[in-house]
Amino acid sequence: MKKKKGLSVLTPYLYIAPISLILLTFVAGSLIIAICFSFTKYNIITPAQFNGLYNYQKLFRDSKLHLSIINTLKIAVIMVPLEVTFSTLFAILIRSRKDTLLGKLSKAAIFIPVLSSSAVVGTVWKAILNGGNPTVKTIFGIFGIDPTMLLGSSKAAIVTVAVLMVWKGMGYYMIITLSSLMSISDSYYEAARVDGANAWHLLTRITLPLLKPTIIMNTFLSSISAMQVFDMVYTMTGGGPSMSTTTLSMYAYQLTFKNAKSGYAMAVSNVLMVMILIIVLFQQRFLKRDASEI
Amino acid sequence: MKKISNYVVNIFLIFVILLCTLPFLYMMLMSLKSTTNAYDLSLNLSSMSLVHYKKIFSDPTFIRYFTNSVFVAISGVLLTLFTSCTAGYAFAKLQFKGSDKIFFLIICTMLVPSQAILVPLYLLVRGFGWVNTFKALILPLPTAFSVFVMRNAIMSVPTELIESAQIDGASNFKILRSVILPLVKSSMLTVAIFSFIGAWNNFTWPLIITTEDAYRTLPIALTTMKTQYDSDVGLTMACAAITFLPPFIFYLFLQSKFEEGMALSGVKG
Repeated sequence: MKKKKGLSVLTPYLYIAPISLILLTFVAGSLIIAICFSFTKYNIITPAQFNGLYNYQKLFRDSKLHLSIINTLKIAVIMVPLEVTFSTLFAILIRSRKDTLLGKLSKAAIFIPVLSSSAVVGTVWKAILNGGNPTVKTIFGIFGIDPTMLLGSSKAAIVTVAVLMVWKGMGYYMIITLSSLMSISDSYYEAARVDGANAWHLLTRITLPLLKPTIIMNTFLSSISAMQVFDMVYTMTGGGPSMSTTTLSMYAYQLTFKNAKSGYAMAVSNVLMVMILIIVLFQQRFLKRDASEI
Repeated sequence: MKKISNYVVNIFLIFVILLCTLPFLYMMLMSLKSTTNAYDLSLNLSSMSLVHYKKIFSDPTFIRYFTNSVFVAISGVLLTLFTSCTAGYAFAKLQFKGSDKIFFLIICTMLVPSQAILVPLYLLVRGFGWVNTFKALILPLPTAFSVFVMRNAIMSVPTELIESAQIDGASNFKILRSVILPLVKSSMLTVAIFSFIGAWNNFTWPLIITTEDAYRTLPIALTTMKTQYDSDVGLTMACAAITFLPPFIFYLFLQSKFEEGMALSGVKG
């Protein structure tokens, strides 16, 4: 009986052991590796050599790194406002048509790109834009655009990648926004209508203020995913043309797998980590302040 | 006036529906055309054929990628369900020292950006000697998010049910299996769908941790196929369609589950 009791104290730990072990090994392990190896010269093949702060000093002189930071920020600046605006807009439009066929169809359609692999999205869009299909050319021609230049020119490629990220991601934020819209009681709108409010008043005085926390959260989530863009870039442009779409995570990847500079790659991926950490800290403070406002 | 704006919005939504679905229709259409006329978009049924699908399914390398994908995704789902149900049960219903702190630490791992740790994760797993193994593909799949979902679900199971089972002399594991899990099936389905799609669509991790065809999965086939078959659009699109369809079919049947899970993942952020 006593033995059984001793065992039962340990049982809960046994239950949490599998997931703890997995997260400890892969997540915490990676963080430790990222910090330790960033102080070394390491090419994967020969053993790592400690070289102090050399990698971090190099960060300041590496113009390719600066370019990839700028590219990453460019993607974020284009992607985040579009993604948040469109997802909010679609959520509001779909909410007002939630019981109609059109509302249901739009909700389902906007979500399809979210559930497909970035590899599929990248490959299909690349085939559409670069495939030279006459029908596609005609459609883009209406807007005066040559589809092959969208990924082919170094000026347009980064905008194209950012816009397609919006196309792929907005359904996710739309669903989040829609679920918080559904929790707004109809009685608010009814009461306001009785007081003579028009549609614009309902939107700006009720819907948007009540959506504010969701919109703020979507902005942060979207920013964090913009910082990490990798697979869409890899499948559509491979970082080109002439490095114009090389993002931070793409650059860290190339350093490890093309240039065999893993030690330096760790320093680069730590820069990305710190950038994301800053956003997360901001988010925590922002959301707390917002909660206290209400 | 109100009527006109309503029409404008409806037309706008129809345009958005087309924008979101046409690329996938293009993919399906191209995959069904024989190569010679792959670029015309006519819907003439006589020009449709399954020739590309027949071709890729007779390619042993492709079959290998496909079975790898199925194997990795199913193992990932099972592992995620196992780890999240056991941990979720412990955090929701069992009292133990440090449970709050450990749960907080586990939730904190959701803040670690997955793409930012890919290269260090590669070095780590390479250090284990796991390059080109299934364990490298499967073991990192479970997430803290699934623990979070299962803990919340199990918390809503009445404690009296568990207590009466304890009085009957049931062990913790038996309580979990025959009392709790049947009541949280719906949340388990949400976790299963999300982990399946995460594992099935995963591109970057299999790309860097495998170098041999024997361990590569479908999304990787998409990038290697392109070079292998040169510029045969039909074949690439057939491969894209096969990668696309399983999550899509799940979505068609379980739309509400997807929305539930998405809303939850938003709450957590």
